[in-house]
Order: sequence, then C-alpha cells, then structure tokens
Amino acid sequence: MAAPMELSCWGGDWGLPSLHPESLTVMAYAKFSGAPLTVNTINNSWRAPKGDVPVLISEDIVISQPAKILNFLRKQKYNADYELSAKQGADTLAYIALLEEKLLPALLHTFWVEAENYCSVTKPWFASRIAFPLSLYLPGRMSREALNRILLTRGGPPLYSLTEVEAQIYRDAKECLNLLSKRLGTSQFFFGDTPTTLDAFVFGFLAPIYKVCFPRVQLQEHLKQLPNLCRFCDDILTCYFRLTVLGHSPAGQDTADANLQKLTQLVNKESNLIEKMDDNLRKSPQHPPRKLTTLKLAAGGEESSPLNRLSP
Amino acid sequence: MSLVAEAFVTQLAEEQILLSDNASSLAVQAFLQMCNLPVRVVCRANAEYMSPSGKVPFIHVGNQVVSELGPIVQFVKAKGHSLSDGLDEVQKAEMKAYMELVNNMLLTAELYLQWCDDVTVEEITHPRYGSPYPWPLNRILSYQKQWEVRRKMKAIGWAGKTLEQVLEDVDQCCQALSQRLGTQPYFFNKQPTELDALVFGHLFTILTTQLTTDELSEKVKNYSNLTAFCRRIEQQYFEGHDKDSSTTVAARSAKRSLLR
Repeated sequence: MAAPMELSCWGGDWGLPSLHPESLTVMAYAKFSGAPLTVNTINNSWRAPKGDVPVLISEDIVISQPAKILNFLRKQKYNADYELSAKQGADTLAYIALLEEKLLPALLHTFWVEAENYCSVTKPWFASRIAFPLSLYLPGRMSREALNRILLTRGGPPLYSLTEVEAQIYRDAKECLNLLSKRLGTSQFFFGDTPTTLDAFVFGFLAPIYKVCFPRVQLQEHLKQLPNLCRFCDDILTCYFRLTVLGHSPAGQDTADANLQKLTQLVNKESNLIEKMDDNLRKSPQHPPRKLTTLKLAAGGEESSPLNRLSP
Repeated sequence: MSLVAEAFVTQLAEEQILLSDNASSLAVQAFLQMCNLPVRVVCRANAEYMSPSGKVPFIHVGNQVVSELGPIVQFVKAKGHSLSDGLDEVQKAEMKAYMELVNNMLLTAELYLQWCDDVTVEEITHPRYGSPYPWPLNRILSYQKQWEVRRKMKAIGWAGKTLEQVLEDVDQCCQALSQRLGTQPYFFNKQPTELDALVFGHLFTILTTQLTTDELSEKVKNYSNLTAFCRRIEQQYFEGHDKDSSTTVAARSAKRSLLR
C-alpha cells in the first residue's frame, strides 16, 4: 500500500483519459477502488512501449495484463468488489467473458481493421505518440494482430471472406450491446449504486466506441440508440475522471449552469405572470376596461422585478 | 411444427474423439433430450470434414445440416421447441453471458490441455486423433491440427500461460458456475435450459475422462453441487442406461455405454 504504483498506458483524446480499452479499464478500476496510481501516458519522450500495454510498475514488480493488474490491486486492499455477493461475483466473470467474445472483435475491427478508420484516425493518432522509427512499424503490427485475432477466433468456415466475418461480428456486437443495456436497466451501475469491476470493464469497452470520432461509425450509432449505456459512460467520466461530457473545464460548466438556472427562473416567472393575468381575466369579466388598467399596473409592478434580476 | 425426420448427431469415432469434441457432442445430446426430441448418435471418422463449419458435432435432419450448439439451438427454436422461452430479458442476457463464460474458459482450457500440454499431446491426443488413418497421414493430420490450435491460443493470449494458470482459470470458472447454481436444481429455477445442457456436457466429460493427470477433474470435484447437478441430469435424461458413476472409472468405455 505504501509502495508507489505507476501505470503506463496510452493517452486519451476526444474527452477520454485513454483510447485503449484495456488501459481505460485499469484506470477506471483504480478510480473506483481509490488506488493511488500515477498514470504515465506513452508519448514521444517516453521509452518505447514494448510488449503489452497497460503495464503496472510497483517497486520491482511489473504486471502486464488487465486481469492480473486488477488482481494485484485487490491484493493491495484496493477492492471495488467488496460488497458483492458470491452470485454477483460469478455474474461479473460471465459478463466479462461475454464482452470479450462478442464485443471485442467488433471493437478491434472498428479501430484497427476498417481501412478508412485505421488510415485516417487510428494510425496517425498512435504514430504521433510513439517515437520514430518505431512509429512506422508498431501501428501496422497492432493492426495485423487485431486482424489475426478476429480471423482466428471468428473466421472459420462457412464464413470464408472478411466481409462475411465483419457482418457476423457486428451483428454479435450489437446483440451484446442490447444485452448490456437490458441488464443495466435504469440503475446507475451494474450492481446497485457503487461501481465494481464489471463497470470498469464495460466502461473500458464502451467509452472508446462512444466517444472517438471515426468516419465509419455503425457501432457508435447503435450505441447512441441505447441511452442508458450512454448515460452510464457520461456519469463515470464526469464523476470519476472530472472530465465534462462537453469537454469544457469545470469552471466553465458551472457558469453555464448558473446562466441556465437564471434563464429557467425567468421563464418560470413569466409563465406565472401569464397565469395570473388569465386568472384575473376570468374572475371578473364584466369590467374589462378597468381590469385592463389594473392589469397594466400589476404587470408593470411584476415586470420590474425580473428586469431588476436580469441585470447582474 | 415438429422435427419430422430423425435427427442424427454425428461425432468422431469412439477411439478418435477427444475431450473437447466429446464435451460439445454431449452438450448437444443433452439439449436435444431436454427438448424431448428423438436423436441417434452416429460416429464417423471424417465427421470434422462433413460438418459445414468444420466443428463437431453436427445434426442431420432431413436434408438440413446444422453444426455447433448455438446454431442448433436456433434451428430447434425455429421448429418450435425452445427451452428458454420462459425467461425474461435480463435472465436471457445472463444465460448468454454464462454460455460465453463456459466457451471462453472451459472449452479453451480443454483445448489447451489437449493440444498445448506436451505430455498429454504425446500420450493421448496424437494417438487418438490420428487413429483411423495409416502412417504417415495420422501424424501429419494431428500436427496440422495442433499447429492450428496453437496459433489460436497465441492470438487470444493463452500461449503464455502455464498449466497451473490454466487450471486456476478452470477453478475460477467452476467457482462462478457453482455460486450461480447454488442449491437450485437447474441454473434457472426448475426448468433446464441450453445453459444446463452446455455445462453438463463439459463437466461430465471432464469428470469421466481419464487423462494423464487427474487435476482437471479434481478441480471440478471440489464443488459438490456441480457433481450433484451432473448426476441429476444424467439420471433424468440418460436414464435408459443405468450408469451410476460420474467418478473416474475406465472412463471411455463407460461413457460410450452411457451415450448409446
């Protein structure tokens, strides 16, 4: 617990702390469990990433895969699953398996295999964060590995061409998103009000799909039709990562809120005023001219106060 | 509409079949029994090549051929038999998630044990897999299959795992299944579903297959509700043949008499 822990992982953009699903999962879990983690994003000046990313370094121990990193954090007493029952723990494992089998191939495809996306967004982004000359080689290798993984795990007969495999994996991914949405329902996190490992994994997989702007975005469009999952991602980003969904700084967001409040108050006042006028009209219909004069006075009296309030 | 023609479940020949294929085949048989559909098991040495997806088992109904549990479940559902109609949406999501867990962990662990653990490969897998063919074809085919499986393991990151880590993963998976099952007779209350069939197929095969070591079956035996679950399904759906053992007897011949 006293040993400082450093996490080196890919950086973020488009309002996310990281673009890489596994890095995002580990960061989210660290926030949920309160683990003090210094995050070093890989950029040009950092030493070249070798092997797996994210990597957790604590004194002399180096751990590389998300599941192992999470285990290590739990052993250090940073446990986000403390209040889960045994059955919920079992459900966590099952849903993580579902994510890996059904959603991950489509995620990999969107990022690394889809030609337009890869050439216009992914490759330049990653290449800009790796030192030359590795930046010429490493994104290509990651792309080949992703394609390999998709074809080996999902590409057996009778799906003989990449387009058929693509169709199948996107169908599976959309079904997986629907299942997650049904499971989440209207609650804030998957197991009640506190986030757990499963929330970290789901967030890690969903947030890149949700936020990164690609030219080909069929998965993102499907995700946007599931408002509870979008709300889930936004909640975690605002609450745990202090990044607002619009990308403004928190101070800017506060003034925007204050303005919104003032405007709402003004609208409410005006609608109250209109209601009062209606009531007065209805109560005494036989003296319309007199009523009008009194109305004017009343209106004048009423309107002065919001006018006062308008000028800060 | 009911399945008019007889369904054949085709699997690899008795002396040839391996742990993982047997598990999948037993899962399909259990599922069809649970749907009360009559089924015959037929063994062929070239079943893998006959199958439309390259994987056993597959069913042959009339002039249609469907392979693997997922598509078979959908095919049977299209014909009007379904085990999971009574579940609500959240339960269906859970069932799919647990089926993926079994495929992801148990099936991959079985494949790892059969094809990436050198001792098992030499003593059991190579002799069995190539047994219907003459030399050198038997060696060539088994090396080819081994190379394919090892490539897949490398792609999903299991190549770097040691046997102990794989067994730990199996233990974790069994623990999750045991906790989900609890004291209920089936995973979703009183009615069996395709998840029960899948879990039964894998666990029963692990429990009754003799390998070079007993570690895998020991992991499963640690969870008494899982062994009771297997025994219950065996008695209920395969009861025409009185086998009372899900313990490690001379496993393969015992299994055969059970399935026939």
